[in-house]
Amino acid sequence: MSESFPPPGYIPAPSRLTGIEIFMPAPPESAPQQEIVDFKCPQCGAATAFSASGGGLTCSHCGYYEAPEKSIVGKQAAQFEFTVETMERAAQGWGEQRKELACQDCGALTTIPTDSLSHTCPFCGSNKVIQRQAAQDSLRPRFLIPFKIETETCRQIAGQWLGSSWMTPAALQKLAAIAKFNGVYLPFWTFGAATRADWKAQVGHTRTERYYEDGEWKTRTVTDWVWESGQATLKIEDLLQPGTARLSARLLKEVKSFNLTEMTPYESKYLAGLQAQAYDIPLEQAWETGRQEMREMTRQACLSQASSSQVRSFSMNLDFAEETWRYVLLPVYLATYAYESKPYQVMVNGQTGKITGQRPADWNKIWLVIAMLLAPGVLFSLLGLLTIPFAGAGLGVGGIGFILLIIGAVISLILYNKASALDDL
Amino acid sequence: MSDSENAVSKAWGAERVAMVCERCDWTFLAPANRASQACPHCYQMKLSALENANPSTLLTNPDDIEPELALPFQLAPADLNSALQNFARGIPYAPEDLNPRLLHSRLESLWLPMWLVDAEVQAAWQAEVGFNYEVVSHQEKYEQNRGGWSTRQVNETRTRWEPRLGRLHRSYQNISAPALEAHSQLQTQLGSYDLGQSQPYQAEATHEAVVRLPDRSTQDAWPDTKPALQTAAAEECRQAAAADYLRHFSWQAEFNQQNWSLLLLPVYSAYYFDDEQKPQPVFINGQNGKVFGMRRASPKRAQRQTITLLIIAAVLFLLSLAAAAASIFLPPILALGILGIVAAMLVGLSAIIPIATVWWFNRKQKETNG
Repeated sequence: MSESFPPPGYIPAPSRLTGIEIFMPAPPESAPQQEIVDFKCPQCGAATAFSASGGGLTCSHCGYYEAPEKSIVGKQAAQFEFTVETMERAAQGWGEQRKELACQDCGALTTIPTDSLSHTCPFCGSNKVIQRQAAQDSLRPRFLIPFKIETETCRQIAGQWLGSSWMTPAALQKLAAIAKFNGVYLPFWTFGAATRADWKAQVGHTRTERYYEDGEWKTRTVTDWVWESGQATLKIEDLLQPGTARLSARLLKEVKSFNLTEMTPYESKYLAGLQAQAYDIPLEQAWETGRQEMREMTRQACLSQASSSQVRSFSMNLDFAEETWRYVLLPVYLATYAYESKPYQVMVNGQTGKITGQRPADWNKIWLVIAMLLAPGVLFSLLGLLTIPFAGAGLGVGGIGFILLIIGAVISLILYNKASALDDL
Repeated sequence: MSDSENAVSKAWGAERVAMVCERCDWTFLAPANRASQACPHCYQMKLSALENANPSTLLTNPDDIEPELALPFQLAPADLNSALQNFARGIPYAPEDLNPRLLHSRLESLWLPMWLVDAEVQAAWQAEVGFNYEVVSHQEKYEQNRGGWSTRQVNETRTRWEPRLGRLHRSYQNISAPALEAHSQLQTQLGSYDLGQSQPYQAEATHEAVVRLPDRSTQDAWPDTKPALQTAAAEECRQAAAADYLRHFSWQAEFNQQNWSLLLLPVYSAYYFDDEQKPQPVFINGQNGKVFGMRRASPKRAQRQTITLLIIAAVLFLLSLAAAAASIFLPPILALGILGIVAAMLVGLSAIIPIATVWWFNRKQKETNG
């Protein structure tokens, strides 16, 4: 028996029998167990913050820079099964003491470092927030994607985006320079599962046949329905579901094209100087939505096996297996700017720079364009009406006018809807 | 009485004498009055006291053998009637001596030995232990004609495997190992014994019975106990870790304080005489009633039947010839004569059936029973 027993990395485990010693692998040191982290500059004592450009901690006061210890795990990041035990075992808390901002206007909960002076809700821009200690009893995020886009870059992207549409006011582009972009880690759930479905359906094949009736040959279309069945299996990985309902589902959907291969294990230093939102859509609720998406994907896979797109009496039995989940934080810049006293939200993917959000429409411009689009049709129609008594050509001119009017109306309607959607959430 | 006989009698709780069959070399401990009785293994020779026999036939000194456990006979001789009937049934031209009643009257108890070892084990071990846990899964059903999806939540049990290692200092009692070279062959013939039903040895159990002595030394048997010791240790490690399963168990063990004793397995033995008046032993597992023995058909009986058939054929042939000759005067009986010749040939050919059947049956029995 070896002298160095147990080997390194093993710790004693309880034993139910005397005379038997048991050792188990030491659990990995988990972040929430660590002491409360105080991100102070070791040179000058000022607060340090996460730097998106370098990926480390920087001190804006003395220029100190602490290089990152990057350990990208990507899609290999550990996933959890849907067990109560796993959820209970999941480490708790944020790994550092954080405050929570509870917005009295929109209800969003945002965690911020204890020394943060922010009193503005990053979601709605309201300053009606109350500070409280962040709850430690929620599931702890285990992985995140660090910010890669700097605030300044974000501002440039927003400036280009705000000025990219002729439908928005010309002054809008300038607002990007003064808008405050808050880097916020948003909660997301990723889900994985293997689905296996047995399906059967009546599949229709259409053919044309000739038949004789009332003394003449006619043709008719006949659909032959035959039963088909099959089996489809899908391996679905990393289906992203938002963990917050505080933000517009539309904006989140547009911005959520994250590259999960850059995921790293959660460390509180990534949150230094930044904000993070705790999930408010619990795991079960998010999984319900994720499952609905998965079963729909599987249903489409089954339907694609049918020999024709005409399907009726479709039924399928679907089994989920290997269901896994992760709770991750993904980087997003949120900005709220006011235009004519009305707040507008902008969201920028902190990893890819993809931008989306609300923009006010310049209705004067839009109505002018609509008027210009309708004018030719109206004019030609009128001209046609006036010239009908004098010559037959009036009818042709009136017809052209009517067509132009219809085309103008359709384009106008599209423009109107597009403009209306500019400030939709 | 010698010192050795005293030691044996003390260990077994009754007077026992070591005996041997010089025909099959099986050694026994038996009541002194069994001397000059037939060997309960081969029934071909009488047992003789070991002093008169070749000492090399005994690998283990009877003084060193102490019975500790015994599996009780779970079937009384009266319960074996149907088993013996089944044994005797279906033998073409069975020897006259092979009948259940005679077999039953010749039943005698015999105990076969297994070694039991107690050992203290010190080991370093490692394994993977499995813990059951439940996960929530879902089964969904889609029916277009019934309005879409329905969901059913199901709980599935899965196993989580984790590595463990440790040290062990335990004692294990009564780990069994074969004490006979022919143990596995006997187990194949008589079926397995449920060793879990063993009980402490009592002298009354072997009062009039014969006990087979081991022909394997404890040194030979020791390697056979190691897998059982390892299995017992693995099971205890599983229990100690409060795990549901354990796999890939390995250990480096040191064994001390080995103590050897015997476990006795119950067997009935009987015999029948075949054609050559050679006794054919029959053994019955005393726990589950499985019977083993060579089932031999009687070639003599078959031959008798064959000769009878041949005589019938010959007589028939002669009569047919006579009829054929008489057809010179009475032509219609020629047909009868021809028919008679054909029948005589068929009967003559069928005379081979009894002998062929017996030959085929005995050959098959030899193949089956080795």
